[in-house]
Amino acid sequence: MKRRNFLKTLTGFGVAGILPMSLVRPAFGATPDRFLITISATGGWDPTSLIDPKGDAQRSDGLGPVNNYSASEIKSAGNILYAPYPNTVEGPAGDSSGHFDNFFAKHYQRLLVINGIDTQTNGHDSGRRFVWSGKLEEGYPTIAALAAAPYADQPMAFISNGGYDFTASLVAPVRTSGAATFTQLAYPNSQFPGDPDLQGLGFFSTASYSAIQQAREQRLTRLRVAESLPKRQRQMDQLQTVRNTDVELQTLLNYLPDEVSDGLQGQAEIALAAFASGLAVSANLNAGGFDTHGDHDADHTNSLTQLLEGIDHLWDQIEAQGLQDKVTVVVGSDFGRTPFYNEGDGKDHWNITSIMAMGAGITGNRVIGATDENFEALTLNPSNLQLDNNGIFITPQHIHRSLRDFLGVTAELDKLFPIGAEKLDLFG
Amino acid sequence: MPGLRSYTRILISLVLLGASVLSHAQTGSSIPSYEDGLLTVPRVDVEGYGSLQLQLNLQDESSLTFALYSAVAAEPSLTPGATYGLDTSILSIPLVQAGTEFYALQLQLTPQELFQVIAADVTKLPGQDEYNSQCASCHGVNGQGGLVAVSLVNCANCGDSNTLINYIANVMPLGAPGSCVDACAEDVANYLLTLFQVDDSPLITQTVSALQLMPLEDTLRKASLQLASRLPTDTELGIVATNGEAGLSSVLDSLMTEDTFYERIMEMFNDLILTDRYLSGNGLPAEALNLMRIFPDAFWFGDPQSAERSDDFFSNLVTTNDSVAREPLQLIRFIVENELPMTEILTADYFMVNPYSAKSYGVFDELSFQNEFDANEWLPAQLNALEISTRQGSFLVGDIPHAGLLTSLMFLNRYPTSDTNRNRGRSRVVYDLFLDVDILALEGTRPDGEAVDISSQAPTLDNDDCVVCHGLLDPVASSFENWNDRGFYVPNLPWYDDMFQAGFAGIDRPQDQEPTSLQWLASQLALDPRFDDAMVRITYSGLVGREPLDPPGEDGTEAEWNAYNAESVHLDELKDKFVADNQNLKTLIKEIVLSPYWRAEGLDNTSFAIVHEETGAARLLSPEMLHRKINALLGFEWRSTLDFYSITKDINAQARLLDDNQFYQQIYGGIDSFVVTERLTEPNGLMVAVQERMANELACYAVPNDFLAPASERLLLPHVEIGTQPNNASNIQAIKTNIQHLHAHLLGEQLAIDDAEIEASYELFSNVLADGQAAIGITETGNLPNLCRRNRDIQTGENLAQPLIADSNYTIRAWMAVAAYLMSDYRFVYE
Repeated sequence: MKRRNFLKTLTGFGVAGILPMSLVRPAFGATPDRFLITISATGGWDPTSLIDPKGDAQRSDGLGPVNNYSASEIKSAGNILYAPYPNTVEGPAGDSSGHFDNFFAKHYQRLLVINGIDTQTNGHDSGRRFVWSGKLEEGYPTIAALAAAPYADQPMAFISNGGYDFTASLVAPVRTSGAATFTQLAYPNSQFPGDPDLQGLGFFSTASYSAIQQAREQRLTRLRVAESLPKRQRQMDQLQTVRNTDVELQTLLNYLPDEVSDGLQGQAEIALAAFASGLAVSANLNAGGFDTHGDHDADHTNSLTQLLEGIDHLWDQIEAQGLQDKVTVVVGSDFGRTPFYNEGDGKDHWNITSIMAMGAGITGNRVIGATDENFEALTLNPSNLQLDNNGIFITPQHIHRSLRDFLGVTAELDKLFPIGAEKLDLFG
Repeated sequence: MPGLRSYTRILISLVLLGASVLSHAQTGSSIPSYEDGLLTVPRVDVEGYGSLQLQLNLQDESSLTFALYSAVAAEPSLTPGATYGLDTSILSIPLVQAGTEFYALQLQLTPQELFQVIAADVTKLPGQDEYNSQCASCHGVNGQGGLVAVSLVNCANCGDSNTLINYIANVMPLGAPGSCVDACAEDVANYLLTLFQVDDSPLITQTVSALQLMPLEDTLRKASLQLASRLPTDTELGIVATNGEAGLSSVLDSLMTEDTFYERIMEMFNDLILTDRYLSGNGLPAEALNLMRIFPDAFWFGDPQSAERSDDFFSNLVTTNDSVAREPLQLIRFIVENELPMTEILTADYFMVNPYSAKSYGVFDELSFQNEFDANEWLPAQLNALEISTRQGSFLVGDIPHAGLLTSLMFLNRYPTSDTNRNRGRSRVVYDLFLDVDILALEGTRPDGEAVDISSQAPTLDNDDCVVCHGLLDPVASSFENWNDRGFYVPNLPWYDDMFQAGFAGIDRPQDQEPTSLQWLASQLALDPRFDDAMVRITYSGLVGREPLDPPGEDGTEAEWNAYNAESVHLDELKDKFVADNQNLKTLIKEIVLSPYWRAEGLDNTSFAIVHEETGAARLLSPEMLHRKINALLGFEWRSTLDFYSITKDINAQARLLDDNQFYQQIYGGIDSFVVTERLTEPNGLMVAVQERMANELACYAVPNDFLAPASERLLLPHVEIGTQPNNASNIQAIKTNIQHLHAHLLGEQLAIDDAEIEASYELFSNVLADGQAAIGITETGNLPNLCRRNRDIQTGENLAQPLIADSNYTIRAWMAVAAYLMSDYRFVYE
């Protein structure tokens, strides 16, 4: 309630312009020098098919094996164990950047894996909410929104590609489309925005267009002064705030490839271009196809290949933009999948999951947390993060408690959306 | 009897003080209460003197003495809450509510004409402990309701005392029925029927009276645009002008028979049920057809695997797919259109088909379509008996027990299940959509940071942490037992015995109704008053643009509670009218449109600013609504240059605000009903850029195009010609009159000719004109910008005999500037 009351006092977006700077600006400066990308493997991924492999030993309860590959085939890259492809399917092409062998060989030194996270739910909506906000309850913003909140006055501070993107009005989520669309919007007065030779031909002359814009702003100010209904006042404030923010989409275009890719790779390209051009601070990316209730091995292998190809492409983009010391990437999913197959060769919902992280500030080649042979979470000592029978289960609350500290979410924002979990040094 | 004499003297003097003091005595509750130093006793019976309503003001906290603050005759209908003994001068109040606690008080009238407390014992109402332990966590200590429970204040859903007692005994608490029966149920029922009865009419009156309502004419414009995607006709405006609110009501009745209205209704419901996820525009071209591909004639127009395809294969594929996908929303439309009770969306023993989907389902021959190629012709149908054998087993895909949306193939696939989920996802959706209960909100009771103990064989049956949800979820989930993960009817299969069996609200489904389990569930849902709450919530949210207010919580301010209580009362009134008219959705919509909450356009009293913080139906238009508004105001849609409009108008994907791939549907906050299911309701930087481009492009297309028509047929510029320049008084008057028309037409503003806004628009026109004329031959030409030139007829694409290319005196471009200015205005992009 206090949180809601507090937010009510905000008249429109751009909290940075309204709240005391100490509340929202991180200590490190007025311009963002840290960016966050969250990637949601939407539908509930199966860590045992990737970074928490188990093998095909028969379960003692008669439910069969956890996986359709032998435990002896489990592979490793540095300290990170990863699954082989199930013997029921053919893996991707050997040169695919999403092939497990290629992906882990290339990235293991920057990868942090946290296994055995208990999401305490197997509902998609609640799982996504918990994994990306740190709370099962409604009303808590996604971590990407918290990261962007200090820069809410930037036009595309938080780019959302769907999934859990609740922002608690801290920042306006921005949805994106292809490169051609950005060009159209970068030059709203151009008749031919996509043609560099004709781009300067406007619907209006420069002088006319300036007069229109000036008249529009003056009218909005007049309307606002005369308005007495609070809801409309708020809407006008929001409109004015957003209009008064320079949207330097032309700059973004300089960082975009000529042809924006499809799917996760395209989402990555737009997010990185927005980071590089100073328009965005965080983005949530979405990869679907993980809700494999039937034919799990084939469908999950396909989805994981696309996911890893996307992450690999993302990393290439990060390096191409020279942002490898500034972008942190967190990959997670709604929850996990059952440590046994159903009658349709599928796997259903399971509350235990894993996350991966890489990039700025992350010490790679590490695995924290674990599960037993039946993919049940094991407890950790909260001090040294080693397995400990008297320890605690890791939940998304711990992940977010630690992630917030790691990202520098300010104490005031943290207090506004409290997470009551032990502080674990998961990301440092 | 000195006590009585002084008492009466004080009483008389207080009555003479007048209304300002007496107004403090207003209350509709029968229960005496103490709050902020004021002890209010709604009815004191004084033997031989009748009944009084008293208020006593605390004078001295240490001695607990009160002074008489007001006294008026009591409402005779109130239950006596106290007695005054003439012989003892003692005021006895058996029950006084102070916050959440209760006391029995005795006050002695002293020689100083003060009332002093001589006895105060803590007491309780029967049922209070039971209510607080079993009900208050969801309904609130004061009965205001919460995310999973309705308000009990003036309980609209409670019915009479016996009904409520039975309901408590058999259904409540949710997830643990049977916990409060017999005397407990009776006490709790009496407790909430007594304690939570509040006469809130003064609050409502005050709250509503603070609002300025938009005139009926403006209400009609707003309703026409929102409900029927068009402007009102002159005839309709005349009816409203002549007959006032009754006239508006009759025009609304007429609006609500138009196709565009039903499209809006389907859009509104899709925002919640999200079955448009299967439209070809939101995914692969045949997603819906693939879900029903086991029907022999699903792809009646040609085998998609075949290399040989007819010329119209793809158009048939898309039309048929979308017809199958739209079946659940068409059912809702059918019920609204025929003014059937909305419960029929669950109880209908039929589903909807058009000629295309009827062929796929194999029922075309039994139906009498007037035109087999008209995809807009929908009829109710029942599936023929047809058993299909597949690798997964035999499915009865015909002769099934239809139960409205619950047995819709699209609905069941949109909310799939699995062997472990066991239809619980479907159950959650049923509670959310049709009972207004968010079961996930119950999750907050789980202890933070601790995994739930699932060590028992069936924790969903025997672990209290689990039963909270599963006691509700699982009986409904089990009612879906005959419907498999692919949405097909597979009766007589064994069902799980380690979960709650089919039932609803504490009633087990009769065994003989096992094959028609969902029909039985639908009949139970239809009887539940929460279904009406759900319909009100869906419709109110759809029209107002936001969900009803949540209870503010324990630390909510008085203003927040007032806002919530006033809106709750309003929603109950809407529900009463909806129910009284046989659950006719049109009645509900009309009542919402006529209500002060929808018509609010300002505040008369700024002290109500917090109470009315969310009041009003102003909203950022969705991409679909903005798309339709443009068409209504300009006579064409925002697609591409008007020279190519005749081609692109037939390609839905080219509509700038409907296309989510090349254009702006997603950017502008639309949904695809799949990955993106929540609309953006507040603007961002990209959306503002869309607004700007929209205004520029549309001004470029619309203004020159308007000048092609005779003045009498123009939508935007009926009062001027291309040659009209502000060089004499008559022309200036004509230009201002046209600006006045543009403000009315585009923004709905009825302004006097000398209004400052008219002057501001005129100034823009004049400045652009003067600057432009001065620049011709230097930086400007005497022709229109390339894309603004008009060469072809927008409908036929044929070359115009007299193209419009020249703008030698810059007037067209000056009007374009005014049009762009207005079409990017707050009042254009919000409604």
